[in-house]
Amino acid sequence: MPAGQRKPVDTKKIKALLDQHKGKIQVSLAACASCSLCAESCFLYMGNNRDPHYMPSYKWISSLGTIYRKRGNVDSTFLEKTQDRIWKNCVLCMRCYCPFGIDIPGLIALARGMYRSQGFYGMYPYTAGAPEACGSYTTDESSTQEPGTAGAGTGK
Amino acid sequence: MYELARGPLMWAATVIFLAGIVYRSIQLYLLTGKKERVLYTATPVKPKDRTPEERKMDFIIAFRHSLLGTHPIMAIISTVFHTFIFIIPIFLLGHNLLIYESWGISLFSLPDGLCDTLTAIFVLIGLFFLLRRLIVPQVRIISTAYDYLVLAITVAPFLTGFFAYHQWFDYKTVIIIHMLVGELMLITIPFTKIGHMVFFFFVRILIGSEHSFWRGSRTW
Repeated sequence: MPAGQRKPVDTKKIKALLDQHKGKIQVSLAACASCSLCAESCFLYMGNNRDPHYMPSYKWISSLGTIYRKRGNVDSTFLEKTQDRIWKNCVLCMRCYCPFGIDIPGLIALARGMYRSQGFYGMYPYTAGAPEACGSYTTDESSTQEPGTAGAGTGK
Repeated sequence: MYELARGPLMWAATVIFLAGIVYRSIQLYLLTGKKERVLYTATPVKPKDRTPEERKMDFIIAFRHSLLGTHPIMAIISTVFHTFIFIIPIFLLGHNLLIYESWGISLFSLPDGLCDTLTAIFVLIGLFFLLRRLIVPQVRIISTAYDYLVLAITVAPFLTGFFAYHQWFDYKTVIIIHMLVGELMLITIPFTKIGHMVFFFFVRILIGSEHSFWRGSRTW
């Protein structure tokens, strides 16, 4: 669906989720020393020529972390722009390593719940391209998406 | 200003530092109140009758998956940095003399020359961290002004202490700045990213993970 046709973001829902998990997000943001030592523990990072966009800490800080810092005041353009970081760039294998013990997969899962609450879903497999090929993963909202647009990934 | 920095401000910084650490510990303890039912231990139980080859292989695998195996330079430099950050201020003769003057007691002190060398190494490692943050793509992408500020707060007391020891610039001004930035670092430890001083031990001991030092069962 083109960005202009997206439903406006229900910030109340996002804020409620943020409040529910405030302590964990706040402490995790405070604890992350931005050391980037988690990078090599991600096989997608290693398999994509060490592209920093696949780094575990980047995935959750640039999505959930930014939403938290903005106190939930984000628009659909932001969610659309950042959704691939938590859907396409992560398979939640839970192998990411943080020297400070930050629960990175837990935070990415939390971010997914937040994006899902606004209709931003991951469509597996990404190689399928068009959402129609994804069977039960499509929803009323996403089934109207055009191939190759938001949520469908880039066919990697 | 010297008396203010040495007396009331030092006390205030120490109290905030200690209270902040207690606050952070309680906060983390409450946040991780949920107990995890351990179905599989984080570190697999190994059979006792392993052959020497199997033991060697297990060691190699464990080593290669450790931080020392994946990032040897970073692991060594980081360990040195974090060891020095405790050793230098605690065992510095100048600091111990101040404690002796105030309370009549003091800790064991390292030779001045050695502390001077350790401080120089510490500052150089700080420079290495700065360059790494600026140059390495995966570090730069998640670095914000806040990260640079935290690094500056951490290195500033050591850099000013080095200047003061060598009596570079105006000694009195430098020593006052040294005390103020040292107190600033103490205050910021519990409330900024330097708070990993508390988080590190907590998560490695109490929260269950394959990298735990102990079999913790608390979870988020």
